[in-house]
Amino acid sequence: MRLRPSIPAIVVALAMYSLAGGWAPALAEGVANSMIDIAYVEPSEGEYRPIYERLKKRQVLEELQQFLAPLRLPRKVLVQIEQCNKDTQRYTEGGSVTICYQYIHELEKFAEKIPPDTRTARGVSREDAVVGGFVQVVLNGMSHAVFDILEVPVWGREEDAADKLAGFLMLQFGTDIARSLLNGAAFFFEASDRTWTGSDFSDTRGTEAQRFYNYLCIAYGGDPKAFKDFVESAGTGMRRPGQPSERRIDLLPQHRAEQCQKEFLDLKYAFDQTIMPFVDQDALQKVLARRDWLRSNGGK
Amino acid sequence: MISHRVRNVALALAATGVLAQGPLPSAQAAEGSAPIMIEYVPPAQRYLQPVYERLKQRKVLEQLRDFLSPLRLPLTLRIRTLQCDDTNAYWAGRAEGLKLCYEYVDWVERLAPAETTPEGFTPQDAIAGEFVEVTLHEMGHAVFDLFNVPIFGREEDAADQIAGFIMLQFGQDVALRTISGTAYAYQQQAKESSWSRTGFADEHETDEQRFYNYLCLAYGAQPATFQRFVDSNVLPAKRAANCGREYRQIQRSFMKTIMPHVDQEQMKKVQAMQMLRPDDGIIKRDYPQ
Repeated sequence: MRLRPSIPAIVVALAMYSLAGGWAPALAEGVANSMIDIAYVEPSEGEYRPIYERLKKRQVLEELQQFLAPLRLPRKVLVQIEQCNKDTQRYTEGGSVTICYQYIHELEKFAEKIPPDTRTARGVSREDAVVGGFVQVVLNGMSHAVFDILEVPVWGREEDAADKLAGFLMLQFGTDIARSLLNGAAFFFEASDRTWTGSDFSDTRGTEAQRFYNYLCIAYGGDPKAFKDFVESAGTGMRRPGQPSERRIDLLPQHRAEQCQKEFLDLKYAFDQTIMPFVDQDALQKVLARRDWLRSNGGK
Repeated sequence: MISHRVRNVALALAATGVLAQGPLPSAQAAEGSAPIMIEYVPPAQRYLQPVYERLKQRKVLEQLRDFLSPLRLPLTLRIRTLQCDDTNAYWAGRAEGLKLCYEYVDWVERLAPAETTPEGFTPQDAIAGEFVEVTLHEMGHAVFDLFNVPIFGREEDAADQIAGFIMLQFGQDVALRTISGTAYAYQQQAKESSWSRTGFADEHETDEQRFYNYLCLAYGAQPATFQRFVDSNVLPAKRAANCGREYRQIQRSFMKTIMPHVDQEQMKKVQAMQMLRPDDGIIKRDYPQ
């Protein structure tokens, strides 16, 4: 189901354009959200310098500011890309949203598992993986900040809620872009080869496999028709005695898929109840009226 | 619906008298609230008869009704103990209400350890605590449904959070006993289960994750009471560092989304109730093992 388009879609589009597209003209004039400060922090390691240069030139964060223009924030928040000590930097109350060069580097490495000009069985291209993964980490980080700044009541684990809000925003772009973004975001978690044992499960985040299925579930729940190919067809995965299961692990199992529409309606309800009151509807219409968010030239 | 395994515990508690009738003198409901209807449905299976008798005799449902009395319910809430032919407990929707299965109570009793575990989980708390957990978890689903509470994360986790939050509002003793019993149940189930890749597609988290979530919420709320679990590395320091924040998140969510439906005066009376008796969770095994 497609909701009334909302701001987040814009963010996604922005990021997508920035990363994927040749940034031919300068960013078009648009109203930026004055409560969002941005910074590209120069990395100390040369390895990350090309990423820094590319993102800066493409004005990824400037576009984010414009995409989020309709969101009324009562105080300022800084969104920055910098070199961290680890892959990800958790948002803390009153802090800034930090995207790490290391994470983007990792993202690109994973994406390279997909040969150029090919797609995975579920249809993920290398470009989808990079763009979807990048948009995912930006929107997840912004979601944490929004929960904090707007004092949103969050039931369930906050990390899951941030993934859900990110996925919800990705869906607002319409089917084609939503597919690239959600499929790409899911790919990053799918490609992880981390094995969880013992106290690993004490992590505040879910396992990569859980997050992978959550993204597919948001897509399918939001638009069951468009994303029915994300679900294992009935009858597969049946285990004959003595035979290994033939389950396709890159798709949603039926038993979860059945829950996804309800999960999506709950998510939309939570968004409407807690975030929508802080969205300027006129500004939202203007943002949505823009057609130049996604002029990708297809190259990475 | 509870995860098949864990949830079963709640009933056990009831069975064993964790919810044994407390001294709440007046069971009047919050002003303007719809009533709570309770019923012990006799089981067809003979082996469940003692569980049924025990729950009934100890007035588990009467106490639960008192306990829920501060809620201003928009419609009649039905709560039943019954034979389900399934080891589980359910929020079965507004018409069917809350179903606590005798099979689950029986299962919780059997899951309890023979003696206190190295982590300090006692047999008594294993029964009482997990019964409280499953009951409150299912009531969490009920409350989310009845009050149209927005859930941004995953509802199964949210139900665990509200259950844990409530366990932590009745003083140190109740907190320690119920959280310990809950942690024990998830720890045991974690040992019995192995998750395949597609298992992670489940709407519930793994038993390991739920074990840590409960301990973390408890440590976040009452660090001194639960420090022992951090000192012994049962709850790793890395997660422990985030628990105060996690508890505040739940507290804020409770205040914003549930508290508006609570009669404050009645809540104070309920908080003064004796939620657990000293002998709760001690059962006479008066039926075949």
